[in-house]
Amino acid sequence: MIEISELRKTYRMGDVEVNALDGINLEIAKGEFLGIMGASGSGKTTLLHMLGLLDEPTSGKITIDDVDVGRLNDYEKTQFRLYKLGYVFQDYALVPDLTVMENVSLPAMLRLDRTDEQTQAGSFEVLQKIGLCDRRDHLPRELSGGQQQRVSIARAMVNKPDILFADEPCANLDSENSRLVLELFKEINEEFHQTIVMVSHEDWHKNYFHRIIKLKDGKIVSDGTNGSSAH
Amino acid sequence: MGKKELKVAFLLALRSLQRGSRSSVILTILIIGMCFTNMIFLPSMFNGIGQSITRQVVDYEVGNVLVSPKSGDKYVADIHATLDLINGMPGVERATPHFTKGATLKYRQRVLGVSVRAISPNDEKFISPLYTKMVAGSYLGDADIGEVIIGRPVAGDASIRQEDEFQASLGGVRVGDSITIDYGNGYVKDYRVKGIYFTGWSQADSAVYVTYTDMALVDPKALDNAESITVKAKPGYSEKFIKNELLAYGVGGSGKVQTTADLLSKSMGRALQSFAIINMVSLVVSIIITTVVLFIVITIKTLSSRKQIGILKAIGVDKEVIMHNYGFQVIILGILGIILGIFLTLILAAYMAVNPIVTPEWSATLYVTPLDLFINSVILFIAAVVAGYVPAYQISREDIQTAMRS
Ligand SMILES: Nc1ncnc2c1ncn2[C@@H]1O[C@H](COP(=O)(O)OP(=O)(O)O)[C@@H](O)[C@H]1O
Ligand SMILES: [Mg+2]
Repeated sequence: MIEISELRKTYRMGDVEVNALDGINLEIAKGEFLGIMGASGSGKTTLLHMLGLLDEPTSGKITIDDVDVGRLNDYEKTQFRLYKLGYVFQDYALVPDLTVMENVSLPAMLRLDRTDEQTQAGSFEVLQKIGLCDRRDHLPRELSGGQQQRVSIARAMVNKPDILFADEPCANLDSENSRLVLELFKEINEEFHQTIVMVSHEDWHKNYFHRIIKLKDGKIVSDGTNGSSAH
Repeated sequence: MGKKELKVAFLLALRSLQRGSRSSVILTILIIGMCFTNMIFLPSMFNGIGQSITRQVVDYEVGNVLVSPKSGDKYVADIHATLDLINGMPGVERATPHFTKGATLKYRQRVLGVSVRAISPNDEKFISPLYTKMVAGSYLGDADIGEVIIGRPVAGDASIRQEDEFQASLGGVRVGDSITIDYGNGYVKDYRVKGIYFTGWSQADSAVYVTYTDMALVDPKALDNAESITVKAKPGYSEKFIKNELLAYGVGGSGKVQTTADLLSKSMGRALQSFAIINMVSLVVSIIITTVVLFIVITIKTLSSRKQIGILKAIGVDKEVIMHNYGFQVIILGILGIILGIFLTLILAAYMAVNPIVTPEWSATLYVTPLDLFINSVILFIAAVVAGYVPAYQISREDIQTAMRS
């Protein structure tokens, strides 16, 4: 459960102030597959980064599973990300010098509650899920964009996080690969009841989301279940 | 910093070196290796020169401990009793007297000023390898009278014209020839050249040797006086020990007792000071180059992967892991560079052992001790680690937003 109240983020560029987020109030239920949509520059990434503890809000409060994340120190935030959150980025962001297997197991290797065997088995399992087991010893540059994005999803999933964030994960993919990625998210969501918050600006992605919020100029302009937007 | 975090940092470092730019890794290791070699080369060379001078002084001048006349005296008196005393001391291999007189050599038309050194040939064998350095004829025997052995530069070469000579000589004396020695006190005597030697130590090579018995005939003072007594220590006994022993036995009463190190520190003190300054400069330059190179290499690495660092942090990798990732890279590069450097140094040392730089005064080889290698490795390693960790620390503290949006 994520609770957001009066969240604001103001960027200051010289004399100009940009209200990237302008008073966001939102609750995201556990197991929800939420789509954040809106035009470019509307504040989607900023919101996702706030939720993912990658940036600090100017004001407002975020509570994730009853933890006021604004009160966590730097190290606690890192640990929170490692144990509870998963990320998928637009440009895959795999470590270029690590193999597929190494990339996927990296977050699991840091977990104190995992043995080496569990890490190994877990990584293998998610690689199987994304159908890239036979490519596990390849380097990212030897894979196609779609395959790399699936690896990055596997990396986000390996620790079975409670919440998965994805910032335009399909932006660099063709529609075939985009569908594959979205199907994967849907499967994860249904199978493990993970909360998924995904940013997108492709209209046809709507069909996969349980609920969609639309941003404009840092404000929520619509909030509704699967396409039928309601205020 | 837990074990798992260090493990991940090490994995990231290793993979980055294995799968990143091969040429940059090789170049960095090469530069560290060269810096290491540079750091150790000059000091080792000076050390080698010092060692070679010391060895020659020991071999041809002093032995290990020299008993010389006390200030104001011309001779060490009462040599027979003193020699017996010293030769009876534990740790003393042999003590033997030296007596030197300036003289003029004459051979055909040539005249040459030299020092004539009187030795007890068989005792001298314990002190000096001179008897192994004969290039023609043979070494002196204890009872030889009217026989002389001369250095090759003194003998000269008949095929070189006098005006072309690098060093004045007798112009080609051969074994069996007769030469005249004018001792200047009205004592002129003919000698048969029994042998010609070459030691590489110019002081010895430009002298001639006769027996102590012979000298006593020339200068009766040599009967009971010596210009100096050279003392050789048995293996395992230090010069210092022998010196203290001599002093304890009262030899200090008949002469001044000094070790080779005592004598050299006086004559070479200034040279050693200059060596030390040059060594320091070469050391500092090497360290600066290593530090700057590693600093640049790691800075470029961190800056070109800022975004990736941001991503790693985003997925829960702690900043310490990021820092140690680069730290480990520098440590690995440093260790490989130092190993290469040690290897290069040993190759150079081996080469110079076979091809030393030879001058009449000394021959230079690289004198490298394991301690030198160790100390230089540690210094360079520390420099490398500092150079790597500074940019690594800086980049690891950058906030995620700045890194990810870069
Ligand atoms: N680091 C930043 N500094 C200044 N302005 C920023 C920064 N990040 C985002 N912005 C601004 O905030 C607004 C929202 O950006 P963003 O959240 O990236 O939008 P979206 O992801 O919806 O395209 C934009 O006007 C953008 O220019
Ligand atoms: Mg965006």
